[in-house]
Amino acid sequence: MPSSEYLLEVQGLRQYFASGRGKNRLVVKAVDDISFGVKPAETFGLVGESGCGKTTTGRTIIRLCDPTAGRVFFDGREVSGRMTNDLRKYLTDNIAMIFQDPIESLNPRMTIEEIVGEGLKVRGLKDKAEIRRRVVEMLVKVGLNEEHATRYPHEFSGGQRQRIGIARAVIVKPKMIIADEPVSALDVSIQAQVINLLNDLKEELGLTILFIAHDLSVVKYFSNRIGVMYYGRLVEVAKGDDLYKNPLHPYTRALLSAIPQPNPLTERTRQRVDYVPDRDHDYSTEQPTMVEVEPEHFVLCSPSELLEYRRRIAQNV
Amino acid sequence: MFGRYDMDEQIRNLPDSYFELVDQDQLADGALPTTPIGFFKDAFLRFKKNKVSMFSFWMIVFIIILSVIAPFFNRYSYVQQHTQLRDMPPRIPVLEKLGIADGTRVLTNRRKANIENPDLFPPASVLEVFNHRVVNGVEVVDAVIDMYSYRNAKDVYFWFGSDYLGRDLFTRLFWGTRMSLLIAFFAVITNIIIGTVYGAISGYYGGTTDMLMMRITEILAGIPYLVVVMLFILLFGTGMFSIIFALTVTGWIGTARLVRAQFYRFKGREYVLAARTLGVPDRTLIFRHILPNSVGPIITRAMIAIPGAIFSESFLAFIGLGLQAPRPSIGILLSDGQKVLLQYPYQTLFPAVLISVLMISFNLFANGLRDSLDPTKRGEE
Ligand SMILES: Nc1ncnc2c1ncn2[C@@H]1O[C@H](COP(=O)(O)OP(=O)(O)O)[C@@H](O)[C@H]1O
Ligand SMILES: [Mg+2]
Repeated sequence: MPSSEYLLEVQGLRQYFASGRGKNRLVVKAVDDISFGVKPAETFGLVGESGCGKTTTGRTIIRLCDPTAGRVFFDGREVSGRMTNDLRKYLTDNIAMIFQDPIESLNPRMTIEEIVGEGLKVRGLKDKAEIRRRVVEMLVKVGLNEEHATRYPHEFSGGQRQRIGIARAVIVKPKMIIADEPVSALDVSIQAQVINLLNDLKEELGLTILFIAHDLSVVKYFSNRIGVMYYGRLVEVAKGDDLYKNPLHPYTRALLSAIPQPNPLTERTRQRVDYVPDRDHDYSTEQPTMVEVEPEHFVLCSPSELLEYRRRIAQNV
Repeated sequence: MFGRYDMDEQIRNLPDSYFELVDQDQLADGALPTTPIGFFKDAFLRFKKNKVSMFSFWMIVFIIILSVIAPFFNRYSYVQQHTQLRDMPPRIPVLEKLGIADGTRVLTNRRKANIENPDLFPPASVLEVFNHRVVNGVEVVDAVIDMYSYRNAKDVYFWFGSDYLGRDLFTRLFWGTRMSLLIAFFAVITNIIIGTVYGAISGYYGGTTDMLMMRITEILAGIPYLVVVMLFILLFGTGMFSIIFALTVTGWIGTARLVRAQFYRFKGREYVLAARTLGVPDRTLIFRHILPNSVGPIITRAMIAIPGAIFSESFLAFIGLGLQAPRPSIGILLSDGQKVLLQYPYQTLFPAVLISVLMISFNLFANGLRDSLDPTKRGEE
């Protein structure tokens, strides 16, 4: 059953991709039994290296792919079941998505007005002038202007394109936004601009955000809670502060050690640690499960690791 | 100058007045300096730069205009027969003075006595007699005969000559061009429409739908083409409709495969996914989001298919499955001309030249079109 605490709740979600037949059959477990929840009006950061299944998770939640197993609830309603027109409408009205690639994510044959206004049109708004007015209003909100409405995507820079993508997602007034690495393809100088914009819109419209990123440095600043993914599994979920203070899973530690530090004194002494599953865990006799080691801090660990993690938290507090 | 730790100290102790808060609320971009330019306008600008393609384009336009108005240039219609004036050579008013298309024919191996007999050849019609020789004791000559005065029709001009029923070949050639072009256009348009819709559905839905639909095309493509055509003509008789139909039976399969491949290429693009997450219905995704991005290859294919259809129509006519007499098409003219190729080569020459020019022009035009519609070349000089 869904918990009333969460706006979006994912329970035991699996997404397997199969290719080939018979002997050549190959199953990629892109997402393998993950569970987490996103609370209303919070930003949940989903972090992990490329290819660990973050995009697949986001796309499965919004039903661009059908899940292999597991359930997803949004606002108490199950959205992982059989697809009906009603469910599709419910999903598309409530969750919008921002994509990773600033070039690929805008149709090169449509003007900005058509791109941003499409969500309104689909929802039955026919009045051209009204669509225009709302599109321009939205464009201004993301730092563009009326003149840009008649342009084609190739005339814009990467940061501008991402802001257009944000406008397209937000104009339909969703409750939640899944942002799939929205700044990974941008220059560092532009990244802050886009993230701040997203944050402002979140405050203004009370959005809930599932923010996907491949390193912790980006999510660190504005995620309330963070989930760390490794090879299709969620290995640690915690409040942002807890995760920085007490990173428990060795993979989280590895990710944290990869963040450059702004202070030159500590940056000089920063040690990178790497994560080698076979060395860091002994799962020959015990299987790992997701355990809540302290309030709202979940780690994937075996019973003996759990003891070790508990001890570490006790020392640190 | 500074030791390492001095510098760290300095950085840490920078006064706050050194820093300025950059206000992100002021995020507002200015207008773009360029003028907006649509896809087709851009393609057109680039097409104009390609001289060869421009030339073929105007060549096609010229031939199309001719096919519309040329049949009215003289007083003959394409059916009008002149039983007295069969197989006349070409005769064109101004050029005849220069010795080209002057309505003459060279008769070889004629008895000298016959040529000189005024009852058989009026003296005015024999322009030149040469190559005197004796064969088997008979005096034999070659002679240049003015066919128009020989047939006593000095005021008649068949610009491209006349055929075995004395019909004006100029009128028939351009009438035939008109018919051939019409057949080709209609056949290609139906092919493109059927192929696009079929390929779009197959490519968009993929999976089992796609597999079934592709198997059907493979079966269709496997049936011998000529058998299908003959069945059609048996069923519907000869005529424009059945020829267009015959050209369509298998013609759309190539388009369907092309469109299907395009859909496989584009349906996973992020902008298509983005539209899906907004709730855009399948029909809009297919026709508004994916199809416009494949329009370049489709147009190019259509242009390449036109000369192919013209040629196929000619081929059908050539093997006797063409339009019903007396209607001409380029294929029918070629087929008629080929029967008397050695005696009256001009009857084959004009349609052959025309169909060649037409096919080359369409191919060059299509090449230029493909280059200018290629979105990856967009913005290049
Ligand atoms: N449609 C698909 N078919 C087959 N494999 C896929 C598909 N989508 C993703 N994968 C695989 O799933 C894994 C996770 O991919 P993805 O979710 O894109 O990772 P991330 O976004 O974290 O970089 C990768 O190994 C990828 O190759
Ligand atoms: Mg990804």
